Amino acid sequence: LNKLDLPQGTLDLLILRTLSLEPQHGWAISERIHQVSKETLLIPQGSLYPALHRLERRGWIKAEWGTSDNNRKAKYYALTRAGLKQLDSERAAWKQLTAAVALVLDTGL
Amino acid sequence: MLAELLSDIRYRLRATFRRDEMERELADELRAHMERETDKLVRGGMPVDEARRRAQLAFGGVERIKDDARDARGLAWIDIATQEIRYTTRALRARPGFTLAVVATLALGIGANAAMFGIVDRMLFRAPQYLRDPSSVGRVYLGSTFRGTEYVGEALEFPRYQDLTRWTSSFSQFAAIHIQPTGVGTGDASREMSVGVASATFFEFFNLRPALGRLFTAADDALPAGERVAVVSYGYWQVEDGGRRDIIGSKIQIGPVDFTVIGVAPRGFAGINTGDAPVAWVPLTSWASLRGPNFTENYSWGWLTVVARRKPGVSVASATADLSAAYQRSWLAQRAIEPAMPTIESAKPHAVFAPTQTERGPNAGPEARGILLVGAMAIVVLLVACANVANLLLARGVARRREIAVRLAMGVSRSRLLGHLIAESMLLALLGAVAGLLVARLVGGSLNALFGENAGNNVSPFDTRTLLYCVAITIGVGVLTGMLPAFHAGRSDVLTDLRSGARDSGYRRSRTRSVLVVVQAALCVILLVGAGLFVRSLINVRSLPLGYDADHVVYAQRNMRGVKLNDEQSRELMRRLVDGATTLPGVVSAATAASVPFYDHESTRLAVPGIDSVSRLGRFQMQRTSADYFTTVGTRILAGRGITVEDRRDSPRVIVVSQTMAKKLWPGKSGLGECVRVGSDTMPCSTVVGIAEDIKERHLSHEAEGNYYIVADQTEHTNSGMYVRVRGDGESSADPVRRGLQRLMPAGAYVTATPLSELIGGQQRGWKVGATIFIAFGILALTLGAIGLYSVIAFGVQQRSRELSIRIALGARVRGILGMVMGEGVRLAVIGVAMGAGLSLLSARSIATLLFDEPANDPLVFSVVAIVLLVVSIAASAIPAYRATRLDPNVALRAD
Repeated sequence: LNKLDLPQGTLDLLILRTLSLEPQHGWAISERIHQVSKETLLIPQGSLYPALHRLERRGWIKAEWGTSDNNRKAKYYALTRAGLKQLDSERAAWKQLTAAVALVLDTGL
Repeated sequence: MLAELLSDIRYRLRATFRRDEMERELADELRAHMERETDKLVRGGMPVDEARRRAQLAFGGVERIKDDARDARGLAWIDIATQEIRYTTRALRARPGFTLAVVATLALGIGANAAMFGIVDRMLFRAPQYLRDPSSVGRVYLGSTFRGTEYVGEALEFPRYQDLTRWTSSFSQFAAIHIQPTGVGTGDASREMSVGVASATFFEFFNLRPALGRLFTAADDALPAGERVAVVSYGYWQVEDGGRRDIIGSKIQIGPVDFTVIGVAPRGFAGINTGDAPVAWVPLTSWASLRGPNFTENYSWGWLTVVARRKPGVSVASATADLSAAYQRSWLAQRAIEPAMPTIESAKPHAVFAPTQTERGPNAGPEARGILLVGAMAIVVLLVACANVANLLLARGVARRREIAVRLAMGVSRSRLLGHLIAESMLLALLGAVAGLLVARLVGGSLNALFGENAGNNVSPFDTRTLLYCVAITIGVGVLTGMLPAFHAGRSDVLTDLRSGARDSGYRRSRTRSVLVVVQAALCVILLVGAGLFVRSLINVRSLPLGYDADHVVYAQRNMRGVKLNDEQSRELMRRLVDGATTLPGVVSAATAASVPFYDHESTRLAVPGIDSVSRLGRFQMQRTSADYFTTVGTRILAGRGITVEDRRDSPRVIVVSQTMAKKLWPGKSGLGECVRVGSDTMPCSTVVGIAEDIKERHLSHEAEGNYYIVADQTEHTNSGMYVRVRGDGESSADPVRRGLQRLMPAGAYVTATPLSELIGGQQRGWKVGATIFIAFGILALTLGAIGLYSVIAFGVQQRSRELSIRIALGARVRGILGMVMGEGVRLAVIGVAMGAGLSLLSARSIATLLFDEPANDPLVFSVVAIVLLVVSIAASAIPAYRATRLDPNVALRAD
């Protein structure tokens, strides 16, 4: 098992969660998710940047140009207060959903 | 929630206005990502080139991501629109011939509509400028029945206007107006211009703020005689007075007397009329006091147009009923004074409360009845144009099938492709609309001349309502012409198209295009049948014997403008004018006259020994005239003699009657030598000395009216008009005649001269308008239709070139190929002709009343139109058919 397709809408949640630790640039976000998920989740690059722009438009994250570790210019994304609230509510909803799905799947019918 | 919304708006604004910056940032961001990915792979031990390749592979198409990011930024639509416009502009510029053909086609269609819309709108829909709440305002018409014929008019007597105001309760406002051509100005500078006579209440119907000074009020407009004050028009102020502010308080001579200027009406104010704005407005009562007591004191003089405003909540029906009741009460009041009036039971007086536009009232002219038809025909032309453009776009769509398939394969979404095709047709429609407005402006002047003054003067297509209409039809055209090709493109199968391209697959799918051609042909038939019917009507109406010669006669009228002459002086002046006219170069003869055909009529009581009631035998029209009358106007004398110089005031009274009148009064006899008492049965005998041919005086129809001619000098009246027969045509002779006669007039008085053909021409205008417009539209549609058919056939040949080449290679005969290709064109035309003829027959009844002596299903017109269409279709398909026979099998078979 080396690659899983992300269910619709979970990418936003993962980005928000990653950014809740510290501001990051795009590549680092995808790397981070890849690592944390024990290399199970590979973010489709094609959807990462559109997702970032969408979240920025909604005001959940904000972007800032900065200099990265090896002195490269990079666009850093950080969570806003609205984003934090959004993360909390989406996270709760996700947990509820997975629990419910697990319940159905694991219970002998 | 709110914060999110604000952020959204802020972001979108930035995305819209700082887009270059954002594009750059996005590119930087994506590049940085790629570099990091490469670094990582290199660190893992991969060679740099391989790492870069892998990073790129993992990343996918950069442009695609950019596109999606843009979508996420929420400005996709602006992006797409600009991109599409840029792309489309480039594509259209690459094919100038195609673009020009489409734009020209649409320009003609949209131009015809813009021009027609202006006229239809002005005649029927647009409310007068400045009028407050136009829907509640209407004109008052009064109708009554006399000897079985119903007459409805809007010339009301002053006491009647007072009665209606007094005895109705449904109206909040009443006003009376009268537009009068009058001499304005002093001495040589005086010219006949239109003057508005209005009650002070008239201005209260409008939201008017005078450009200068004030408007007149009830205090200026009071019986028995109002103040001699005038409100001049904005145009008069600017043109005649140079816009000087000291015009207030100055004098302006209107008719015989001076009025003091108290104000300038706002720009464009023309009351409720569509023609030229009157140069000045004067109070009704001051005008009436100059014209004598008849104008205000009794029911004998009908001269006022009455307008009224319904109270809120009062329906048109109840307002009309209220007016009718008041009119009947007024009728009784008049009958108390004039016991000879018919009773209410026989005359059935009633009122009509109609919109302010005369063409929507009960006396609308034939132009108004035809104008909606003509407007509808303009839309038909536009449809033909649209069909053509859709056809051209479809043809190109087939040719571009491979290009479209490539775009689809590269991942362009179908909705995006649809957007592209719509953008293309929209851009074309827009170009067509701009060109169309120019066309409308070019033809606007001649259209106005064609429709006459009711269409309003000084009109330009560049007014708001016309522009809005154009925007609406442009969008309609864009969608309509874009939909079909888009629908076709959306259905296409990528794989098949990629494989075969534009080569062969198109042919079997051209059914839509064939349908379009058939529809075009059908619409052409409708227009051309209309043209044929109106042309025949016009020919019929022109060939109707009038009984006089309209082309070489000028009607001149003297206007004394307050110069007082006694009876003898007046007769003397008329004699001098007639004698003077005959000495003018180019003039053959002249005679005085009291009435003008289609313009004014006169009749009086006649008594004939042996006949109980002459009036029961018919309505006989009188003409009071002088020597040489018949040769001057060109009415032939069939028996006896005309009026001569021997018929003087003191010689025995004579009368000339028309053929029909003689037949009705003295059946079986010639009528010569009979006695007619003119005026009453106590008058002396007038002896019939001549029988004249019948003339058309009140109606253009076959119905013969009775006319009689008496000697003006043998009556108490003096004529003020005269006919002048000229050698050249009346039109160009009118002004020399006017100038020649003007020299004989006393100072201050003046003469007007009008070619008789102009007075008659108005009667024929309906048919002339119909014939001209239908011919123009018909030819336009036929040209477009021919191009459409040509393009379908030519395209079919191109599509089938392989198949046709194989046939030729296999030995098909030239005649066979010609027949096959042309047969298809003719087949489409035949179906179209059949459909069009059917539709024309179905609509025959609605057009029948507009024709003259012409059945709406005239087989001659229908067959000529069918032949024309078939010939055109043969011609249009002959060229591509000939080209098909010239196909070189080698070229076609080796291609691809």
